Order: sequence, then structure tokens, then C-alpha cells
Amino acid sequence: MAILEVEKLEKAFGGTRVLGGVDFSLEKGEALAIIGSSGSGKTTLLRCLNFLEIPDGGVIRVGGETVFDAGDPATRSESEIRRRRLHFGLVFQNFNLFPQYTALKNVTLAVELLAREREDFKRRRSEIFTEIEERARAVLDSVGLSDKLASYPHELSGGQQQRVAIARALALSPDILCFDEPTSALDPELTGEVLRVIRSLADKRTTMVIVTHEMQFAREVSDKVIFIDGGVIVERGTPEEVFGSPKHDRTRRFLERYSGG
Amino acid sequence: MTCLIFIVTLVLAAPLGLVVAFGSMSKLRPLKWLTRTFVWVIRGTPLMLQVIVVFYGPSLLWDWSAMSREVAVIAAFVINYAAYFSEIYRSGIEGVPRGQYEAGQALGMTKGQIFFKITLLQVIKRIVPPMSNEIITLVKDTSIARTIAVREIIMEAFTFTTRGLIWPLFYSGLFFLLFNGILTILFGRIEKKLGYFRV
Repeated sequence: MAILEVEKLEKAFGGTRVLGGVDFSLEKGEALAIIGSSGSGKTTLLRCLNFLEIPDGGVIRVGGETVFDAGDPATRSESEIRRRRLHFGLVFQNFNLFPQYTALKNVTLAVELLAREREDFKRRRSEIFTEIEERARAVLDSVGLSDKLASYPHELSGGQQQRVAIARALALSPDILCFDEPTSALDPELTGEVLRVIRSLADKRTTMVIVTHEMQFAREVSDKVIFIDGGVIVERGTPEEVFGSPKHDRTRRFLERYSGG
Repeated sequence: MTCLIFIVTLVLAAPLGLVVAFGSMSKLRPLKWLTRTFVWVIRGTPLMLQVIVVFYGPSLLWDWSAMSREVAVIAAFVINYAAYFSEIYRSGIEGVPRGQYEAGQALGMTKGQIFFKITLLQVIKRIVPPMSNEIITLVKDTSIARTIAVREIIMEAFTFTTRGLIWPLFYSGLFFLLFNGILTILFGRIEKKLGYFRV
């Protein structure tokens, strides 16, 4: 069964339609790449999955559970949305690390706050905190930053900051990890280290949705590709299908613009 | 008296300014415009005039018995500084990038957690320099109290000039300088303490 199912997702901003009924599904362990030009709606789609935008229409299901249904007000309440956000992790284009915390604290903060809601928190407080920290160290180690635990964001390069951001999202063990153009704000020589981390996650069969402009990377790392234009899915398929033999004119024109550079 | 005006104004105007700041950022349009008009009037007119209006206004308009001069001065100062502080708070709060809130949300934090654990310290760091500026101005503005004959330090010093003594006035200047010197050092320390991160 698909871990993520999205049906007829719609979103408009003040009368401008940004998403016009998007459907797709994703199996556990798959990586989905979403490509398209700026303003095509791909970032909005990702923000809808993380409930940073509330969709106007459509249904989102995770592992069979309906986490959002535009027609059902019960799924739209603030506290419900907060809980259901945890199915998804999000890595932002601009990292958005918390500047006043070290790399380690950036990773542990949300997990610690969440642990406070556990029933056994008061009894096992120090144990829980130790567990959280150990796990955070392990995650930071896995993105190659075990020597930067005590560094503050401004002391790190863009690539290192983005790797901390990935570790921060992973620490909450989301079902689906989303990337919103994770390398767009980086200097070209720093994109490699971030892409390597994402590739290693793909090798470990992490379920991911990746919005990206790195076509070569998308082709190599993804199991499925979606091309969005004007808020609708124009073309979908395996990377070989979409990049190798695109069926639609719009896809072809879009890819030609990228293959040049 | 100078110190009293300073301390009471600071203690009352600092939290009141936060209320005004939230008012001017409110999504309720009438509330927002009402607060912004208030801030405009208070910042747009001289503090000296406000002191006079607060002291004489009520008794002229409604036959109230005049309130004490000290209370009138402090009330006018609190209102005035709340307006100025509110603008500093607003700039501090609005200066926190949207991405900080969104990162907190995406990590499943509540609104309260995002405010206390993420944005608050960033806001404080942003507002320390303008706040120190404003508070130093407050020290000097206390001299306006003499407008309605409240015996603050310059007024006390001035009484000596009628006897041909100019030195007390000079000493009052030294007092302000010393007072603000201490504040400058204090705020410098706070800034340094928050210097370990960048916003």
C-alpha cells in the first residue's frame, strides 16, 4: 500500500490558482523528484504536504490514514494539524536553522519539546534526554558533522548548515522527508556535499519528496519523477521515461532549457 | 525625583509598549488603526506638551480636582515611552524571518514553543541597541518634568542660579553623564552576552 496518497490537491492565493488538482502516490522507500520552472506550483505542493499552506481542496493520506481532507473540518483544526505535520519532515531552501542554538541543540530541540508530552517524561526525564542526545549525535554523524556539534549556525558554511537542517528533520523520524530546493541557496561548490547526503538517504530507502532544479541529480536519485507546470502534473514516470523520452512538448522544452546549462 | 520618574516609567512603559506593539500588529483592522493613530499622535507631538495636557487637561475639561504633579508627569511619560517602545518591539518582532516560524511549525512545535524557544531571544537581540538608545533619552527627558514644576534635578539646580551659583547646574550635567555612563556599560554587557549568535 502506498505510504503517501495525494488526491485532487488544490490551492489558490487570492484568486490565482497555484495548484489545480494534483494527484500522486508514493510507496515506502521511494524517492520522488518534482521538477518544474519557478512559479509552477511545486514548492506550494510541498508546503501543502507540510501544512505550511492549508490546501483549498483535496485529500492527503499517509499510510492509509487521512491526514487532511478539505471537506472534513475535523482534519483542519490547529492541534490536529500540528500532530499530523510530524508525518512529514521538511528541509528548506534557506536552511532556517535556529541561530541561537548549536548544531546539536538545533537537532534535539524539537524532539525534547515533543518528549515532554510523553506520559513517562517526568519519571525518566534524564534518561529520555540522554537518549535524544545520543540519537542526535548519531544523526549528525551520519551527515558528516560529528566535529561540528558545538558550532553555531553562523560559524558553519551553507552546505554544513543544510546538513544540520537535514539532521534536524531526520531526528523526528518522519515517514516522509521533503526537500524544498535544498541546494538552490548554496554556492555551486557546496551543493555536492548536500546532494551526497540526500543520495545516501536514498540508498537507505528513505521515503522522500524532493523539489529540485538539479536535473542530473533528480535523474540519478529518484524512483519517480513528476513534472509540474501551471499547477498541474504534465508528465510523470520513471526518471528514464521523463528525462529520456518525454512525451509532452512542455516537458521537452523545459528539459532542453536545463540540458544546455 | 529624577530617578523615580526614570524607574517607574521604565517599569510601566516596557510591558505597556508590548501591548501596544501587539495592537499595532493586530489582524483586527480597527484595533490596528486605532493603535497606530495613538502611536502617531504620541510620537508626533512634544513630550512637554503631553505633560501639560495630562496635568491641566482633566481639570479643565471635567472640573476634576487637579491630580498631583508627580502622578501627571509619570502618566505622561509612561504613555509617551510606551508608544516609542512599541515601535521598537514591533520592528524586533517583524524582523524575525518567516522561515524561523515555519521551521518551528514543520518540526511540530506549538505557537507558544515557537515564541519562547525560538523567536523571543532573537527579538531581544534585535531590540537591545534601539532600546538602550531610547532609555538613555528617557534619562535626559526626565528634566521635562519641571514644565509643571516637579522638582527634578535641573529645577533644583536652577534655584541656585538666582543666588548667582552656576556650579550646581554643571553638577546636574555630570549626574546625567554618570547615569547614562552606567546604562551604556550595562547595555554593552547585554549586547556582548547576546553576541554569541547572529540573526
